[in-house]
Amino acid sequence: MTDGPAEPKPGAPPPHPPADHGDPAAAPPPAAGEPTHNGHPWPPQPGYAHPPGPATPAGPWPGHPPPPPGYGHPAPPPGYGPPPPPPGYGPPAPPPGYGPTAPPPGYGPTAPPPGHGPPAPPPGYGHPAPPPGYGPQAPPWPSASHSAPGGPGPWGPPAPGGPGAPAQAGEEPRQRLHPLSPALHGAKSLVVVIAGLSWSTLSRVGFGWFAALVAVFVLGATVLSVISWWNTGYHVVGRELRVHEGLLWRRTRAIPLERLQAVEVVRPLLAQLTGLAELRLEVVGGGKTEAPLAYLSVAEATALRNRLLAVAGRAPEAAPPAAGTPPAPAPAGRLLHGVRNRDLLVSQLLTPQAFLLPFGVAFVVAQFLSEGSWSFIAVASTLTAMAGVVLQPVRRVLDDWGFRLDRDGDALRVRNGLLETRVQTVPLHRVQTVGVTWPLLWRMKGWLRLRLEVAGYSAAEPDDRNRPDRLLPVGDAPTGELIVAEVLPGVRLGALPATLPPRRARWLRPLSRARVGAGLHEEVFVARSGLLTRRLTLVPYARIQSVRVTQGPAQRRLRLATVHADTAGGTGAAALDRDLAEAWELAAELTTRAHAARRTDRGRPPG
Amino acid sequence: MSEPVNGDDLAGRPPAPTSPLEPWPETVRWQPISRDLIWVELIRLGILLAVALVLLGVAWAVTGHWLFGAALGVALLLAAWRAVTIVRAVRAWGYAERPDDLLVRHGLLVRRLSIVPYSRMQFVDVSAGPLERAFDLATVQLHTAAAASDARVPGLRPAEASRLRDRLTALGEDRAEGL
Repeated sequence: MTDGPAEPKPGAPPPHPPADHGDPAAAPPPAAGEPTHNGHPWPPQPGYAHPPGPATPAGPWPGHPPPPPGYGHPAPPPGYGPPPPPPGYGPPAPPPGYGPTAPPPGYGPTAPPPGHGPPAPPPGYGHPAPPPGYGPQAPPWPSASHSAPGGPGPWGPPAPGGPGAPAQAGEEPRQRLHPLSPALHGAKSLVVVIAGLSWSTLSRVGFGWFAALVAVFVLGATVLSVISWWNTGYHVVGRELRVHEGLLWRRTRAIPLERLQAVEVVRPLLAQLTGLAELRLEVVGGGKTEAPLAYLSVAEATALRNRLLAVAGRAPEAAPPAAGTPPAPAPAGRLLHGVRNRDLLVSQLLTPQAFLLPFGVAFVVAQFLSEGSWSFIAVASTLTAMAGVVLQPVRRVLDDWGFRLDRDGDALRVRNGLLETRVQTVPLHRVQTVGVTWPLLWRMKGWLRLRLEVAGYSAAEPDDRNRPDRLLPVGDAPTGELIVAEVLPGVRLGALPATLPPRRARWLRPLSRARVGAGLHEEVFVARSGLLTRRLTLVPYARIQSVRVTQGPAQRRLRLATVHADTAGGTGAAALDRDLAEAWELAAELTTRAHAARRTDRGRPPG
Repeated sequence: MSEPVNGDDLAGRPPAPTSPLEPWPETVRWQPISRDLIWVELIRLGILLAVALVLLGVAWAVTGHWLFGAALGVALLLAAWRAVTIVRAVRAWGYAERPDDLLVRHGLLVRRLSIVPYSRMQFVDVSAGPLERAFDLATVQLHTAAAASDARVPGLRPAEASRLRDRLTALGEDRAEGL
């Protein structure tokens, strides 16, 4: 972003090393109009800094009618960020059309040919032209990248430059989050503020003051989010996604994309109304979801997701799309299963909470009737308190509404949600375990639930909803079988080996002994448990991290032991109460099989 | 420390007596950890006990409530019981290096054995607190991507600790597979 040729940031990899862009041989040089990996021309041209740069003069890029601003090259806006649109911004001669005047319809060189711009969230790897008028309130800049033409509005397009930008020489410029993000964060904080102030405050200070308080807090929160938005930027550098944030405490997170476990595009209600989306990445080792990029436009989020997944793909040279092909048409994937909403409703009615709901309501009503106090505050606080617990089924229905599972190449794509829609993409080889649950009340319908565990979500993740682990919220046995076979090829849910623990284990589990079991399938380790809610856990051998054998005092008396297979996500699987000799054998066998499976698995990238 | 040299000199120790926690006695040579750890743990226990005793004693003296006296007695009893178990627990702790994985066993009441393949290693911690340092000990912990993995070897001599660390990292690199 500074003048002249790239000046690699200290410690940063040289700008766009070949490896980062796939094999130059595999991805032919960008002859006219051929998209390359990051939307940068490769091989680098003299003085190559980034695409719209030096050697690629002037808008009329061959084959690229729209002057490509490079992947999301935000144009320095007039009157925004570092004041003047630097004439030398970027490499020497800023191509005409690069900058505020260029309404880049696409992401850069990879911009689809005119007319290709899909109105839908952009398909494949290619970078989307902004869907015409996407979002109810399409923001006034048209591009998925933030380079708005002429920088409308006071905020204009985000300057890549913010603080510290000059250090970014030679790299793809940073991109800002969507300018509406602070507003959304502010609106979101409204709920938090109200909850924080609580009903009792309302009753004490009266409505006027309460409203004033809320307004002050929300305003404060919004100002903070504006500041944080201003200082937040992200860009893809080589095989990393870098997220910069913080005003006083600067933080730059580099997320190696090889380690990407899952990507999620989340659209809360407000974001849906404004045509925005949040992009969440799951990386191993992150105690929580790393780098929630909130918010991006939908097109941008989808494009970035596809791009990240492509970079994270198995072989580096597979990352860039085949040159010359137009951006792959929407990888719609193959529909595996869609859950009927009626089933979902029924299934959630068949939960203990739903059964308890009438009792809860009756209790509240009885209480108020007996006390005769019908004050609004009292009712409101009671309902709020109850909502958290008893309304869980409702939440689940809302969360899993319109559930749809697709297979998209090597990845699973899960869509769900009514008020807050989520699209999760989990590469198949990232699946650590698959869990099958048969809740007690569902068994009369023969229903089951499937979950999958992905590394990177700590067990401590406070919000269960943020774990992208739903594979099937409700379904019958054949559906479950179909999906399991899809996720874990060669595994038939109906025919899994499992042996019971020895008879003497009944002293430890008088009722559930017959429901506990473990077995070794060719592909997976199988463990069952649970009397009322039956559970089955499938762990592919290649995903076993370590094997543990534990023996409590009672087990020791009975010469029993439990064998655990630990996985990177979730709790792994445990063969409960096996005979001691058998437990050793099982542990040895698991170790051997895990070792063998990893060997055959080696073609895969680490991480 | 190159691992081939050091890898074997410890393997020559006589194997510990077999017990239910020692599978595959014919192939696995368990290494005990240093007995000095007993003292470390005992001193730790003593400090904890002293703090508890002072607090309870003061509370007893001030309030004169018999419950505090009872709690004091219970604390003493627990500490005595713990002191006995510490001795046994440290003796029970052991580890073994196999070609492809590290075995760690520990625990008396609940016995645990962990089998951690080197290839799954994410990183190795070597730590030594002030007490451990005073006794010339260190702790090596092998971390995998699974939070449940439990491969911690306390009470190693610093030389042995760094040898183990180097060997683990060398083997881990050699066989790295990540997830």
